[in-house]
Amino acid sequence: MAHDASQSVHEEITCREVVEWTSAYLDAHVGEDRKQQIALHLAACAGCGAYVGQIASVRDLVRLLPQTVDSPSESEQVRQAVAAKLRRQ
Amino acid sequence: MNAATTTRRESIGQSPRALPNTSSVPPRSLPNDEQRLLARLRQSDEQAFDELVTKHHGALIRMAMGHVGDREVAEEVVQDTWMAVIESLDRFEGRSSLRTWIFGIMIHKAKDRGVREKRHTTFSDFETFDEEQEDAVDPSRFHRSGEWAGHWAFPPQPWDDQTPERLLASQQAVQAMNRAIEALPVTLKDVLILRDVEGVEAKQVCDILQITETNLYVRLHRARERVRRAVETYLEGCQRAV
Repeated sequence: MAHDASQSVHEEITCREVVEWTSAYLDAHVGEDRKQQIALHLAACAGCGAYVGQIASVRDLVRLLPQTVDSPSESEQVRQAVAAKLRRQ
Repeated sequence: MNAATTTRRESIGQSPRALPNTSSVPPRSLPNDEQRLLARLRQSDEQAFDELVTKHHGALIRMAMGHVGDREVAEEVVQDTWMAVIESLDRFEGRSSLRTWIFGIMIHKAKDRGVREKRHTTFSDFETFDEEQEDAVDPSRFHRSGEWAGHWAFPPQPWDDQTPERLLASQQAVQAMNRAIEALPVTLKDVLILRDVEGVEAKQVCDILQITETNLYVRLHRARERVRRAVETYLEGCQRAV
């Protein structure tokens, strides 16, 4: 993906293609030609601009979400098991 | 597979082999803070293990649940993982980060346990998806033919600068995002938790999951899109309610 060069920067890319490349683009894992092609498209397409911005927001939000599966009593149980194991070592 | 066999395969994809005891010398390839942590762990420093458990336990449970589909079994898998970490620290060579190594052990144990537990779970718990066939976004949102084929017919409504902050402040929005993450097929959930929640580098995610970078980005994008879609649905509901 990072070295993709199947489409020249001069060829137009569709919104559907931009959507598929969005996460790789945001992580700078696309080749230089593809990067320029997407950047050119984004400069002119409000829909894709909104879409790429939303995926970037989701990427940042999931790290900040309070996790519902964490239970203090359960991690305490693991801590105790770890401590017991260490003392037996 | 026992813990020793699992954890010898520190560099994923490498054949198991006997490794020398390296406990006295922390690997030089690791960053300084990780070398210090490793030295403490190898001295059986309980506080150091406590910090490690606090840091990774939630994500490990979340990922394990994707493979075994049962909370109790996931807890057992994660506890087994920590036991294996303690037993195998001397064989950790530092070719990967400590986190990559720990998550690699957990994934291996969870997959192993998942196969054994599968007969007790419903099919939907192990939903898979076809990376080649499935579009990230519903194709009906794009023009199918004509001059604008492949371009948006129904583009996403823009979010303003305050939208992420408002989403985090809304219990309903947070629940919607968490539900979307928990509902992901395991292959998508693994990459989202490792890359976006835990912040593991793309190359390390590929090492842990034994996938290519192309696979990684196909999966990661589909996972992010499902969460984005959950937010979009939530926001549409808010608009209708006004």
